[in-house]
Amino acid sequence: MKFMKHGLSRIVPNIVVGVWLTMGLLIVQPVLAEEKAPASAEPESASESNAVSAPLVKGGLPADDPTAAVWNSAPQAKFPMSPQVHWPNRILDATVKDLSVRALHDGTNVAILLEYADPTEDADDAAAIEFMVGDKKAHFAHGQPMLQVEGGPVNIWFWRNKDAKGVDMNAMGFGTLKTQEHQDVKAKGAYSNGTWKVVFTRPLETGHLEEDTQIPMGGFINIAFAVWDGKKDVSGAVKEKGSQKAVSSWWNFRAEAPPNYTGYYYAAIAVGLALGFQFVLIRNLKKGNRA
Amino acid sequence: MKGALVTPVIVTVVVYLFCKFIVPIIPGSAPLPSSVIILYMMLTISGIGIFYTLSKESKDAFWGPIERFLTGDGLGGMQALRYGVLILFPLLVGWQTYNSTAVSDQPPGENRTIHPAPPGEYAGLSNPVAKTPDAIQQGKGFYAAYCSPCHGGNFDGKGPAARGFNPPPANFADPTTIAMLQESYLFWRIKKGGVGLPIEGMPWKSAMPRWEVELPDEWIWKIIMGEYDGAHQSPRTWE
Ligand code: HEC
Repeated sequence: MKFMKHGLSRIVPNIVVGVWLTMGLLIVQPVLAEEKAPASAEPESASESNAVSAPLVKGGLPADDPTAAVWNSAPQAKFPMSPQVHWPNRILDATVKDLSVRALHDGTNVAILLEYADPTEDADDAAAIEFMVGDKKAHFAHGQPMLQVEGGPVNIWFWRNKDAKGVDMNAMGFGTLKTQEHQDVKAKGAYSNGTWKVVFTRPLETGHLEEDTQIPMGGFINIAFAVWDGKKDVSGAVKEKGSQKAVSSWWNFRAEAPPNYTGYYYAAIAVGLALGFQFVLIRNLKKGNRA
Repeated sequence: MKGALVTPVIVTVVVYLFCKFIVPIIPGSAPLPSSVIILYMMLTISGIGIFYTLSKESKDAFWGPIERFLTGDGLGGMQALRYGVLILFPLLVGWQTYNSTAVSDQPPGENRTIHPAPPGEYAGLSNPVAKTPDAIQQGKGFYAAYCSPCHGGNFDGKGPAARGFNPPPANFADPTTIAMLQESYLFWRIKKGGVGLPIEGMPWKSAMPRWEVELPDEWIWKIIMGEYDGAHQSPRTWE
């Protein structure tokens, strides 16, 4: 009886300590996990994406081939498009409502594939990708000036069916769009079965820091899209041109970094330190008890 | 002696539950960010530690069981738990280290302030247009022409052009938008649009047009009246 009591008074506090530690773990883990989750980057509907991630591929990029099989190895991001009603001249209904985007890079060049439904192939069908340049934020509508924040320019990569090439451009406000002196962007489109596939290619880094977006491996940058349906109506006028187009908001883009194992090294060192700490602590406690 | 650790555990749990669940429901407060909760929990735990270290007796009562658990003195059947803890602790440290150094796979999270403070010159402006049925009707007409493609004919933010925009067009029927705001605030937002927001409002993302370049002030005031009327809300006024 006495023995039982003695044992209990030892065991109970130990259970309590164990439970306490476990609870601490249970509390800290979900709290930290929650911290990591992006709070509001999530779009309204969960089925849509908020980022394009470009895996690193060895060997050639499918820069000239929008239909290459290797594109299937890139994750597909989907973005909703709106008719451009933000500034005049507006358009209240645009053909393209959804855009699918995939990207790949090989450490030197990046290739971005836009895919969208368009019932007719027309000479004036066109598509564009927009980026911020440098550290300054830029408004998604052509980098128009903001009133309380100093903005920067946008870099626009433009492709049109009849031109069959990529054009590297800049804008900082409406009506300021201009073609760059140095053209770094290539583009190629392929139309089949009511779907456009357009691939844009450019070196990840160019020397032109003031005009071109630079794409660091592993980091997120901003990206936005625009699409024009160049169909002609009975009078011969092009349905969507200039500011009349389908547009997206800013989303995120990343060229994935090569695999990196330093996190495992640091974790191994931390485990070693924690073990050492435990060992020293317990040894000292035991010594103290004996003394 | 037996209960020495029960009180600290209860205190810790109660403080956590309070921060997590009680604070958010106190009127006028918001859920605490988890970093703040962790801070409070660490303060609580170190406070408990200090409290029990104050006198020799309570110190022994508090640390004694912990010490015995760690050294494994006379643990008997509890040895397994002790080893479990001794293994779990380094692994937890390693896991945390890995997580904190690993490159995040998620795009940067964004804390956009939806209702940042307006520039001073808008504070206290009142609607100069008399609130007649005529003016409200006119305002609704302008709303239908200029605003409904994004904010929706039903004032619910679901206009035919809304889907591509992030942040989405405001839903005026939702009591957390215009019902919380004064007319002067709307006047500022409509006049200057998304590009007029301060940096915490992330002006570069907003599709809200800068209507001052297209609409006269009087129309904007009428639109405000039509908007509140149509959305069945009324502006916030300061008592
Ligand atoms: C191109 C789409 C678009 C059009 C057209 C548009 N808005 Fe907006 N509006 C937005 C978006 C997106 C937001 C949310 C982002 C922000 O607050 O800037 C917004 C926000 C607002 C807000 C702020 C609400 C709040 O809770 O802070 C008001 C007020 C507003 N719009 C009024 C109007 C009025 C009035 C019109 C017509 C004269 C109009 N909008 C036309 C897209 C639009």
